[in-house]
Amino acid sequence: FDCYHMKYFELLFTTGRCGAMRIMMADQGQEWKEIVVDFADWMKGDLKATCVFGQLPKLEDGGFALYQSNAILRHLGRNHDAYGKDGKEAALIDMMCDGVEDLRLKYVKMIYQEYDTGKDVYIKDLPNHLDKFEAVMAKNKTGFLVGDKPSFADYSLFEVLLNHLVLCSSCLDTFPSLKSFVEKMSARPKIKTFLDSEAYKKLPINGNG
Amino acid sequence: VSLTLTYFPVRGRAEVIRVMLKDQGAEFDEKVITMEMWKESTLKASCVSNPLFGQLPIFEDGDLTLYQTNAIRRHLARKLGLYGKDQREAALIDMMDEAIQDLLNKYVKLMFEKDDSGKEGYLKALPTDLKPFEKTLSGDKGSFLVGDKISLADYALVILLIHHQVLSPPCLHAFPSLQSYLKRLCARPNLHAYFHSDDFKNRPIIPGKRT
Repeated sequence: FDCYHMKYFELLFTTGRCGAMRIMMADQGQEWKEIVVDFADWMKGDLKATCVFGQLPKLEDGGFALYQSNAILRHLGRNHDAYGKDGKEAALIDMMCDGVEDLRLKYVKMIYQEYDTGKDVYIKDLPNHLDKFEAVMAKNKTGFLVGDKPSFADYSLFEVLLNHLVLCSSCLDTFPSLKSFVEKMSARPKIKTFLDSEAYKKLPINGNG
Repeated sequence: VSLTLTYFPVRGRAEVIRVMLKDQGAEFDEKVITMEMWKESTLKASCVSNPLFGQLPIFEDGDLTLYQTNAIRRHLARKLGLYGKDQREAALIDMMDEAIQDLLNKYVKLMFEKDDSGKEGYLKALPTDLKPFEKTLSGDKGSFLVGDKISLADYALVILLIHHQVLSPPCLHAFPSLQSYLKRLCARPNLHAYFHSDDFKNRPIIPGKRT
């Protein structure tokens, strides 16, 4: 193949469930084409009916269609040698990614359901969730969660931390390893180019602003 | 190399791990943690500090200690050859499994609600969630969700369907392919033996709820 094709809502979910995979593809020098689905068109139902679980995002890799954002992340991880060097690392990467997913679910719930009432409580509680990642990052010392190169879990964590920094710019101040992780990832040349791009900057993080 | 599963004395999130290991004839030890033991701070604290997330199950494979049910399941799937024959099948298995996890999370939420008020709405919505799996398993290809061998995703679906039948016995009436799939998988010798064992039957689905 020459590149992936990705279908996603621009407005409704945007970086939320696609952010990590975009950053990963950018960093890995993997070209992709984005097909933005207009929400009004989506509600007509024709495309939705062709999606196995009636949801987006969808990734097309050659003639092969894949749904479910974490399945897509793992697929990219396998394709780009970002799934650890052996079975043991793979298991640890899975564990980390599942932990990030738990945090992302909490974040999404707060954003969509409880922003006005729950935002302050969420930010106050955040250190109790971030400390685990800080501990892992500090212990590993390589600047990645597992092993000595970025895995899909790193891209997922990076993306979720970027979103949290928008929510509360000081949230990593007491987590030096995580702060340094975000700085180093942001400085990786291809990621920096992507984050500075117009395409990235105009994407809202979440569907409700 | 020894395998050890540490969990509460319920099916809960760990049951799918037990089912997979039993079907594959893989021996493993179980360390049972009662709620009283869990509430005592030492084990929970050690889970929290080392490294992750203050939760069970814990799985030990030799010197590798894993947390997070799905990471454990994937590790065992890789180890036991239950992850498809190639990368493409692996990706499709992940896709199926993610959707099964979505339904499982809804089910778990319902199970832990304080009363039965959500049950009616849940059962009304259930066919929409089951349809994609029915579609996948219908037609001439479908012995398993992906490919021609049992996978990580099949074990998750089997136990989820069994528990949904406990919740609502007629829930699969409109889904002939799911019914026949369930029948076929439950007829596998090791699974048949396990599902009929006292070990399985006497283990509650969640704390406080009878099977």
